[in-house]
Amino acid sequence: MPDAMTAEVRAARTMRREPLGVRLSGRGGQGVMLAGAIFATAAMYDGRHVVETPTYGPEARLGATKVEIVLSEHEIAFPAVEKADLLLCLSRDAYVKYGRAVAPDALVVVDETALPTSADLPPGLVRLPLRAVARELGAEMVTNVLALGAIVGLSDAVSSRSLERAVEEAVRGKDELREVNRRALQAGLDLGRAGRAAGGGWAGGRAAVRRD
Amino acid sequence: MRLVMGNEAVALGALAAGCDFYAGYPITPASEILEGMAHLLPPRGGVFLQMEDELGALAAVVGAAWGGARAMTATAGPGFSLMQEHIGYAAITQTPCVVVDVQRGGPSTGLPTLPSQGDAMQARWGTHGDRPAIVLTAASVREAYDATIRAFALAEQYRQPVVLLLDAVVAHMREPVDLPPPPPPSRQRPRPSAEPPFGEHPFTPFGSGRAVVVTGLSHDDEGLPRTGSARASERMLRATEARMAADPALGGLTSYRLDGARLAVLSYGVTARVARAAIDALRGAGQAVGGLELTVLWPFPEQGVVDLAGQVDAILVPELNLGQMVLPVRAAVAGRCRVESLGRADGTLFQPDDLVAAVRAMPHDSPVGREARHA
Amino acid sequence: MPRIGEDLQRYLRTEMMPTVWCPGCGHGNIARAIAAALEHLAYDPERVVLVGGIGCSGRTPFYFRTNALHTTHGRALAFATGLKLARPDLKVVVVTGDGDALAIGGNHFIHAARRNLDVAVVLYNNSIYGMTGGQQAPTTPVGARSTTSLSGAIEPAFDAVELAMAAGASYVARTTTFDVQEMPLLIADAIEHPGFALVEVLTQCPTYYGRLNRLGEAPEMLLWERDQTEPAQAPITREEMAAGRPIGVFRREVRPEFTRSYAALCERLGAGADG
Ligand SMILES: Cc1ncc(C[n+]2csc(CCOP(=O)(O)OP(=O)(O)O)c2C)c(N)n1
Ligand code: SF4
Repeated sequence: MPDAMTAEVRAARTMRREPLGVRLSGRGGQGVMLAGAIFATAAMYDGRHVVETPTYGPEARLGATKVEIVLSEHEIAFPAVEKADLLLCLSRDAYVKYGRAVAPDALVVVDETALPTSADLPPGLVRLPLRAVARELGAEMVTNVLALGAIVGLSDAVSSRSLERAVEEAVRGKDELREVNRRALQAGLDLGRAGRAAGGGWAGGRAAVRRD
Repeated sequence: MRLVMGNEAVALGALAAGCDFYAGYPITPASEILEGMAHLLPPRGGVFLQMEDELGALAAVVGAAWGGARAMTATAGPGFSLMQEHIGYAAITQTPCVVVDVQRGGPSTGLPTLPSQGDAMQARWGTHGDRPAIVLTAASVREAYDATIRAFALAEQYRQPVVLLLDAVVAHMREPVDLPPPPPPSRQRPRPSAEPPFGEHPFTPFGSGRAVVVTGLSHDDEGLPRTGSARASERMLRATEARMAADPALGGLTSYRLDGARLAVLSYGVTARVARAAIDALRGAGQAVGGLELTVLWPFPEQGVVDLAGQVDAILVPELNLGQMVLPVRAAVAGRCRVESLGRADGTLFQPDDLVAAVRAMPHDSPVGREARHA
Repeated sequence: MPRIGEDLQRYLRTEMMPTVWCPGCGHGNIARAIAAALEHLAYDPERVVLVGGIGCSGRTPFYFRTNALHTTHGRALAFATGLKLARPDLKVVVVTGDGDALAIGGNHFIHAARRNLDVAVVLYNNSIYGMTGGQQAPTTPVGARSTTSLSGAIEPAFDAVELAMAAGASYVARTTTFDVQEMPLLIADAIEHPGFALVEVLTQCPTYYGRLNRLGEAPEMLLWERDQTEPAQAPITREEMAAGRPIGVFRREVRPEFTRSYAALCERLGAGADG
């Protein structure tokens, strides 16, 4: 790992829980599986242990679908995520299905369309216009990468540098996709950091309440 | 380093072992092995064949092995049941080949996408009649890769079908591993051999310069069908089983934080990972608990379990079935300590907390328990 | 075609004889015809694999000096598929019964035909299960008796020739054990054919089919076979096919063969010369 990265990596590590259980969810077709692979790859670039478990079969294509990633400084014994420490929901049905299986002070990031009402948001929940911003960038299909940026902007669960590298890796050979993904990642990071500055995300390991 | 899925590691392990023939039939959660081989073998000049069913898949594998190929198939529960007749055929005909079974919830179509360890006994006793059996298992992507390579080596060493049992979790998860690129394909043409083709003699596929007779009937060392005292195939099966039992290199046990343990968790496959997490938690709380993990289910590594029984007061055997490997554990322990079965067959993994609670509930001093508790 | 020679010792494992077959069983005639075909083609026995299923017919490979792969019930073609793909240089001949090929092995039969795998299949059709004692087969004609249809079969029978044609076999022929001259020539023709080649041979099982249906002993059954069938000239119409049991060659065409297509695929994907 190059030295230049260590500050970021350290930031990621201080923010981490041990082990950290991440669940990314959405509808089939929203690129959730790819997001999981990118996120896990970023964790690997950070030098951490990682187990990623995608969903296969019809479940991965229809309705709510999820990918789970466990990150740790140590070898990972239990490979599944029961109560997520970090949950992303890109769709309403994903929120309905997975919204409850979270750790007590989990960080939950939802697209605004996944949770249309702004009343009575549970603590630790951050509602962001992920799909809308992706559309503004000209491609809703980059919502997944934008969402990863947002998560990392909020939590530093992996370093942004590793995330960037993993995204580059995912679009390697697909020149027409590189630029829009780059912009999506940056927009996501900005969204996340702004959200964090406004009190969302993890502060000192505890999720802050955010109501908007 | 890159993220590799368990099923992909199996395909790469097969190539590393020199596998040049794959026949299979699509089934969840093993299909990525089929697809991986479909992608990897043809450019190497190896044979990939999608058969019309699993009986046909293992038949094609055995046929190819007799053509001199290093051959493999992979399947899951229902397909593994269909393959049983040909596992027996491969055993009596001393055909080296590898069968990967990614276990899923059963019986029948059961829980197609969910993990299970329900085939531990089928892998041993599924075919009719008696036979020696080698059944390996793996708990991580790296182990799946290594176990696949080992399966081919053992298949050739013992001239028997070797089964690798995975589960849907290990098969589908991705972990960072550093795997060498597959070696270039190398098909050795069979060497001419004057020795009889069966019994203790080396494997002599077709086209080795002499005609060979292969049959699933009881036969002599020439392969000709025989009944009565000349039934060399029965002697061969017994002798092979004895050689396996006496082979220390087969091993099959890995211990985890066992020193000073008074209680042990004996597990395999994905459950061994859960056990490690539970043991760490219990050790952290001051309990003298350790783990013993099976990497070879059959031949059952009996001596290691006997030794364990001499050390601890009780052994917990958690499995994603309703109590299969606990049976040979009980037989080996033979009353030396308490053995508790913790079974679960609902398609969900044990949580570390489940095992923590089960260990805490084990009485240390009471006489040998026989009850299985089914979560 | 030249005359078939008589010295079959090179191909027949005479020390394994007498065979398991009943006196008068037609399976021996077919085995002899296969040996004659191999002799006619002058194949090196070591380069030939006879793959047999389970049944009286499936025992054939034991009486040959070729390689023998005596497999499981119904699966001979599946074993042959793997073997042939692994070793396209070996000649593979499958010997199978009507129950073996069309009941338990029906699926492998149609798929091997569909793939146009380069194997010759000699299907011993005695209209009954011989090995297990005379039960109904998928070839038992309506009205015929077996130990599981003592009042006469009510299920329509399969026609192996039509089945093979529909499934895509590129060579399809039928003969009988009465046609002793023609049988080895057809089998030789099938072995030489580059693709899936079926020779269905109507054969007599005096022990079960003959006795249960009062058809007499072997000589009477041979005449019955003769009377059942009609030599036909290819191409044959559907009406002719349906009307009786024509014998002869019904299809001989060259279509892409599976092992060659597979080799071409490997080459296209860049496989080296050692593929
Ligand atoms: C899986 C399986 N099912 C059933 C059998 C029993 N069995 C042996 S031979 C046979 C029928 C053979 O009939 P056919 O194929 O017509 O050949 P024939 O004996 O008439 O030549 C059967 C049912 C078996 N060996 N294996
Ligand atoms: S039972 Fe019938 S088919 Fe079998 S050997 Fe006897 S006569 Fe032939």
